[in-house]
Amino acid sequence: MKKHHNNPDSCTACTVCIANCPVTAATRKFRGPKMVGPTLERMRLSQDDIEPSLEYCSNCKNCDMSCPSGVPISTLNMLARAKYFKNRKRSLRDWILSHGEKMAKLSAATPGMANFGMKMSRGILKKIGISDKAPLPAYASKSFIKLFKNLKQTSYPDKVVFYPGCFINYNDPQVGMDFVAVMQANKLEVIVEEGFVCCGSPLVVNGFLDEAEENAKQNVQILKKWTDKGYPVITCCTSCGLMLKQEYQELFHIEGVAEYAKQLYDADEFLLDLHDQGRLNTNFGTLNEKYMYHAPCHLRAQGMGLPGVELLALIPGLDVQDADAGCCGISGNYGFKDDKYDISMEIGSGLFKAIKDSGRDTVVSECGTCRLQIGHGANVKTLHPLTLVRKSYEAYHK
Amino acid sequence: MREYDIVVIGGGLAGLMAAAAATKRGKKVTLLSLGSGTLTIGGGIVDVMGYLEGGIPAATPSAGLLQVGDGHPYKKIGRPAIEESIRFFKEICEQEGYSYIGNLDKTQWIPTAAGTLKPTCLVPKTMDTTELKKADKVTVLGFDALKDFYPSLIAKNFKKIPAFAQKEYEVVMVDPKLSEGRDVTALDVARWLDTEEGLASCIEKMRNVIDSGSVVIIPPVLGTRPDYAVKEKLEKALGCHFVETASVPPSITGLRLRTMLVRYLKKNGVRIVEQAIVAKSIVEDGKCVAVITEGVDRERTYHAKSFILANGGFYGGGLLAEPGKVIEPIFNLPVEAPTDHELWANYSLFSSEAQPFAKLGLDVDEKMRPLDADGKVLLNNVFVAGRNLRGYDFSFEKSGNGVAIASGYQAAMSV
Ligand SMILES: Cc1cc2nc3c(=O)[nH]c(=O)nc-3n(C[C@H](O)[C@H](O)[C@H](O)COP(=O)(O)OP(=O)(O)OC[C@H]3O[C@@H](n4cnc5c(N)ncnc54)[C@H](O)[C@@H]3O)c2cc1C
Ligand code: SF4
Ligand code: SF4
Repeated sequence: MKKHHNNPDSCTACTVCIANCPVTAATRKFRGPKMVGPTLERMRLSQDDIEPSLEYCSNCKNCDMSCPSGVPISTLNMLARAKYFKNRKRSLRDWILSHGEKMAKLSAATPGMANFGMKMSRGILKKIGISDKAPLPAYASKSFIKLFKNLKQTSYPDKVVFYPGCFINYNDPQVGMDFVAVMQANKLEVIVEEGFVCCGSPLVVNGFLDEAEENAKQNVQILKKWTDKGYPVITCCTSCGLMLKQEYQELFHIEGVAEYAKQLYDADEFLLDLHDQGRLNTNFGTLNEKYMYHAPCHLRAQGMGLPGVELLALIPGLDVQDADAGCCGISGNYGFKDDKYDISMEIGSGLFKAIKDSGRDTVVSECGTCRLQIGHGANVKTLHPLTLVRKSYEAYHK
Repeated sequence: MREYDIVVIGGGLAGLMAAAAATKRGKKVTLLSLGSGTLTIGGGIVDVMGYLEGGIPAATPSAGLLQVGDGHPYKKIGRPAIEESIRFFKEICEQEGYSYIGNLDKTQWIPTAAGTLKPTCLVPKTMDTTELKKADKVTVLGFDALKDFYPSLIAKNFKKIPAFAQKEYEVVMVDPKLSEGRDVTALDVARWLDTEEGLASCIEKMRNVIDSGSVVIIPPVLGTRPDYAVKEKLEKALGCHFVETASVPPSITGLRLRTMLVRYLKKNGVRIVEQAIVAKSIVEDGKCVAVITEGVDRERTYHAKSFILANGGFYGGGLLAEPGKVIEPIFNLPVEAPTDHELWANYSLFSSEAQPFAKLGLDVDEKMRPLDADGKVLLNNVFVAGRNLRGYDFSFEKSGNGVAIASGYQAAMSV
């Protein structure tokens, strides 16, 4: 019953996915997962059918999570989108949003300039279809890879490989540094492999499937190399994790994914596993603080529950409340698009309200773009769970 | 190692109720769920016992319960626990602000979108037919462009029902102006009414077509949230009584009930793991020590003291039909089934008998523990609930959600 069988025929037309799709709820322009996914896929198998409303699917995966018949609806949508763009010209907007890694490398020489330029050119971005209201991320002055290279780690016999992903590497390197600190506190040495490239998630959602497959091939090779040697690979970004372990299997036919996936971990889940084995450093200092928590859709889709919530529950004094208000609406770069911004904010409105009603001023969440959207929509500060774990370890020694 | 008191497998109504009853008893519960269960398809109306063998309507659910055969889950659960489970269900609904009406001593006949009546036991207040029964004049309100709801058909068919034949019917339409984009469903209209603007605009439109004091039959559109805010605001503004009909998928009443129960469980500390595909179990000395999920990445093991198996029937994935046999995939519990496939279904069309195939399932004792062919308990700490139980045809006798609630409750109380 594993989910990577792209068979539209297992759809029984029960309509449950329609009731659970946040985009369907937010706009009438989208015909909904059942219609755009499995129903049309059956036709697409026989003819080249175009469904204009396909562009509204955000690949958030709530449909997959609700389907009683295990239809990978969102992936059917992404494959159809790639097919649609196969012989069509792409917009500059979609190219820019899909190639964050290339863009980051281009501006890496003068990061200060890049952010300055970004601010200046929001008007220009708007002209090409990127919303001038959307919470575009800024580049960090130093990438994670740079910071990591300058870091002196204590060497330990047990090692883990870290897959940072674009967002942590270029926009939010502190999360990566917190991860390393937490691993070190658990007597683990972190290996970072520079050959890793963007997981391909932003490419897939904009239909650049061939390029995503090139990235996948490169990542698969490196991931497999390390897991074959027995090293676990860890991500802190839930969308990277989902792409590397699940969507690669659904979208491409690359050997080896199922093998390394056994050893590919979300950071929070990895720490809980250490705890199960009695290996977790539980010298947690008290944090008398209150936070809200938001579960990224791409975490929920992975069938491991909410490891971040369970992990933070180990920290004395800490009060973390699950907002439990569904999708934040951003879905990677979906909410950055001018024609999707309002939809994205409408989807997130329930979550923003829950956060505001709680009166808590900081929200914890694993996903970088969820954090951007929540900061923007609910006007609060945001954190990755590992930042709190690190803080708690440090509090213990004070 | 993380160990829970109870792991519930399956997040349909049986699993949700089992988790609710267990957490109420102070147990630490993990719910492994996959998809969103049958509720959103079948609806949130609770049938307990509508028809007896031979297709005769039961006078009341209570009377129906008295007449079920020995193999029926209700017989094993017993009347006191069934009553307790219904009371507990209604208590949760009440506490969460979405109370249900009805009891075991009365069959409620509720209108369907086809203009027929269907027997049931518990319904949300949006389906209260008290005023409908009293009214001399009934308004049937439809929405322009809404699929699957034909007000004139309802009016026409109601004229044929003896108890409703004397009433006068008027059909009116409201245009929700939702025609842009896709086809309009009851879910779209309900979401429109969820919003302040939608509700205000709907009230204005309704004012033009219905008189104060009317009793109005409408499709299930009174909001998607598990509360009565939309119903109350509409009724107050217009001075009318609204009665929702039973729904077609995706079912709004099912969606509301599911949202409410999941919220209740989370509030009470139940850990819910979505997309958890339970594939196998570890059994030692007649006891289950853990169940194992199969993800696209790897297996995950969930340890607990007790397990509640509530993963549905042939539809949900709890039972699998293979040539000549039926399989329960997680514990490999025996399912007695005729080897001759021909015998599985009752082929006489419009048969007044329940379908033998639909009655296939797991045999249990009064505590809901699985039994072998000789009636011996197979696993001491595993309890079965819901659609995977043997001995009832929910569709024929109209008992689906009733058995789910009673057996889920009984399973949790037996732990
Ligand atoms: C179209 C239709 C209309 C109906 N109308 C009514 C009605 O009006 N009134 C009424 O009372 N009843 C009605 N019913 C019947 C009622 O819906 C069901 O009998 C009842 O809800 C069953 O609940 P359940 O929890 O046992 O099963 P399900 O709701 O099927 O739940 C089982 C759950 O277990 C999950 N699962 C399966 N395998 C695994 C696994 N390996 N690991 C983890 N999880 C797993 C499934 O995905 C599912 O979520 C209707 C049913 C249908 C199909
Ligand atoms: S992936 Fe999200 S937006 Fe796309 S159809 Fe599924 S639920 Fe809707
Ligand atoms: S939930 Fe699954 S089976 Fe039901 S309509 Fe959607 S894709 Fe089809």
